[in-house]
Amino acid sequence: MNLIAAWFSHLNETTGINFTVFYDPFDRARFVQGFLVTLELCGVTIVGSVMVGILGAWGQGAASIWLRRLVQFYIQIFRNTPPLVQVYFFYFGLSALLPEVKNSFGMSQPLIGGFVWASISLICFAGAFNVEIFRSGIEAIPHSTLEAAEALGFTRLQTYRQVVLPLGLRICMPALTNNLVNLIKTTPLAYAIAVPELLYVCNQIWSDNENVPEMMLLLFIIYIALVGVLVFIMHRWERALRVPGLGL
Amino acid sequence: MNAKKLALLGILAGLGATIAVNSARADALSDIKAKGVLVVGVKADYPPFGSLSPSGENVGIEPDLARELAKGLGVKVQFVPVVAANRMQFLEQGKIDVMIATMNDTPERAKAVDIVHPDYYASGYNVMVPKTVNLTSWNQLKGVPVCAIQGAFYNKEVAEKFGAETVAFTGVAEALTALRQGRCNAFVYDDTAIEGKLQDPSWKDYDMPLESQDAQPWGIAVKLGDTDLAAYISKSIIDWDKTGLILSLETKYGIKHAAFAVQMHNKYK
Amino acid sequence: MRVILPLPEVLQRESSRALPVMRLSWRHGILLAGLLCLFTIAADAAGTSPIRSSVFAVLARWTPLLLHGFALNILISVLSMAIGTALGAFLGLALISPDRPLRGTAWGVTQFFRNAPWLVLLFFMIFILPYHLHIGSFDFVLPDWSKAVIGLSLPVMANVAEIVRGGVQSIPNGQWEASESLGFTRHQQLWMIILPQAIRRMLPPWMNLYAILTTSTTLASIVGVNDVVTLAGQVLSAEGSRPDLLAPIYGYVLVMFYIYIYPIAWATRRLEHKYQVRN
Repeated sequence: MNLIAAWFSHLNETTGINFTVFYDPFDRARFVQGFLVTLELCGVTIVGSVMVGILGAWGQGAASIWLRRLVQFYIQIFRNTPPLVQVYFFYFGLSALLPEVKNSFGMSQPLIGGFVWASISLICFAGAFNVEIFRSGIEAIPHSTLEAAEALGFTRLQTYRQVVLPLGLRICMPALTNNLVNLIKTTPLAYAIAVPELLYVCNQIWSDNENVPEMMLLLFIIYIALVGVLVFIMHRWERALRVPGLGL
Repeated sequence: MNAKKLALLGILAGLGATIAVNSARADALSDIKAKGVLVVGVKADYPPFGSLSPSGENVGIEPDLARELAKGLGVKVQFVPVVAANRMQFLEQGKIDVMIATMNDTPERAKAVDIVHPDYYASGYNVMVPKTVNLTSWNQLKGVPVCAIQGAFYNKEVAEKFGAETVAFTGVAEALTALRQGRCNAFVYDDTAIEGKLQDPSWKDYDMPLESQDAQPWGIAVKLGDTDLAAYISKSIIDWDKTGLILSLETKYGIKHAAFAVQMHNKYK
Repeated sequence: MRVILPLPEVLQRESSRALPVMRLSWRHGILLAGLLCLFTIAADAAGTSPIRSSVFAVLARWTPLLLHGFALNILISVLSMAIGTALGAFLGLALISPDRPLRGTAWGVTQFFRNAPWLVLLFFMIFILPYHLHIGSFDFVLPDWSKAVIGLSLPVMANVAEIVRGGVQSIPNGQWEASESLGFTRHQQLWMIILPQAIRRMLPPWMNLYAILTTSTTLASIVGVNDVVTLAGQVLSAEGSRPDLLAPIYGYVLVMFYIYIYPIAWATRRLEHKYQVRN
């Protein structure tokens, strides 16, 4: 570690290429912290948006026309408007209508903080796409399979949980991977509402050190690595789930 | 197929290499006169120094100063809104000829751009808090969430020296909104701008109870190497101090005379 | 590590079917507008300051300025789409080229720009591109919004390349073989047989990409372009950061985008339907 620090310090002195995060403890601490927040944000929103997708796809197949319309309305709103404005709308607009709590400083403070609002709005945004993706996966299941389940005496919920969802998931896996990659690429939006994620800390670091290109390079490397890891995991999962004879 | 390959390589090269072009102009003044327009970077979210009117016009002390500069050159003025996070880059890239954007004159910045002397104004940083908060010392901010603007040089100091937890937003509008919503308990910002805000009746329940920290002069900046433009602006600033233009602009926009402005007026009158 | 997903043809059709917007109706627009009104009225009632003017008056007063900003968003989206499509078409053809090094390079470029966050690309372009660009005796001036155009056209380019590749590969192999046996050169096969058929299938995902791009133009506000979101923030500031204005103003911007993107999404769905039946 010391060797690395010394090398980057030397690099800065000799060439002016200034990777402060590798030798300055203050910058390294906040960089690592920002990276962890980004990881957490990615994790929370991926899990959340998949759950929204499953629930929404179920709602779209519901008997109640009002439930179907509601889901449809939700999808259209979040797909056809800018995610940045959604984040602002949630963080500033909606939270103004929510109750407030007193904090230790004796001031009232919104109930929900930046990280949670960023997660909620990103989940809603990616979830809207996931609903459509799951629905297309479900629609691709042959009717005969569903009829077979019905003939075997499965209830609607049982059919959904044990037949539709597992098969649909396998079919829509590639599209789901694409959308989750897209979600990871959208998380830097949280920067706009001061969530201390990776882009936020990098911006602070380059403001203090005037080393924009170096930090940009790190940002690109990290995000592309994150996407790579996600795609790798999804591929492994896809292979593990493969059912022989599903006709794909 | 060869042409396609070449095109692709071109794309790659263009992206991979950071293009460093645009050498310094020896005769910026004649360039500007030839163009017939002086492009000035000003704040659009910093009343009373620079803000927008409903018609989209730049108004405030700094746009007025910019108009004075353009008038002296006999050219039109064109405004480019800047924020702390991009104003230096804009100047270095030649996107703006002159920057009058509440920028502190610091030695690090003077390496990157040419900060014209004398400085035209001065401000420190301070915090804006609701009147309900009894704040008597900076040390009370330890562990308190404090709104800030990305790119302001004092963010690090407030965090390191007083232990405040800075929550930095991209623009003043967002930071003020967050303060209003209680997402942070104080807003660390230039004292001059806070003073301007406090005059706005909608912020009457807020206050600036602490002593300003680290009073720093503000400089008008031009690109390194635009020496004749810098000389012209320097002469203009001395003129403004002589005639008391800055003091009368303060009056026009309804803020108190800053100690620095009074001192400069006394020095040159 | 492979970052791209080479999908079997069936899956690809599934995934591209999932992308375009479906089952949109004018009722959604009405519902959204109604919801906005509701928020506005609620916010209006919640505000207590005596000096405030009504929320509707504020929206009306600032509408021209906001529309001006929105026009810039549209301009950025159209230009980025045009540039991205032109570059992406070449890149896409390179992706299916029989020449291995060319294909590999194109693959790398496509993967990079498809997987880098758009916001980070924008920051990169704003900071790295110079304002004046001298090429030979030409002197280009690059204002900040034009850098946003360049920053956004790069991911568009990569996505268009993928659309082109997907479209061409969706044409059955038999078409290539049949045309080859008729003595067409590869160039002729591509331009006279394959592309005319593939272009129809590329249109819906291309339009969908445009809708996504349009929503992404707001990212330019974060890097200092004076678009509608930046202006919305400045309007809030000019009105004294009144909490009761927040939901209405940001909601208003949401509606602007919805109204613009709705017809595109609708047309995309129609085209999708039409081609699905024919296929």
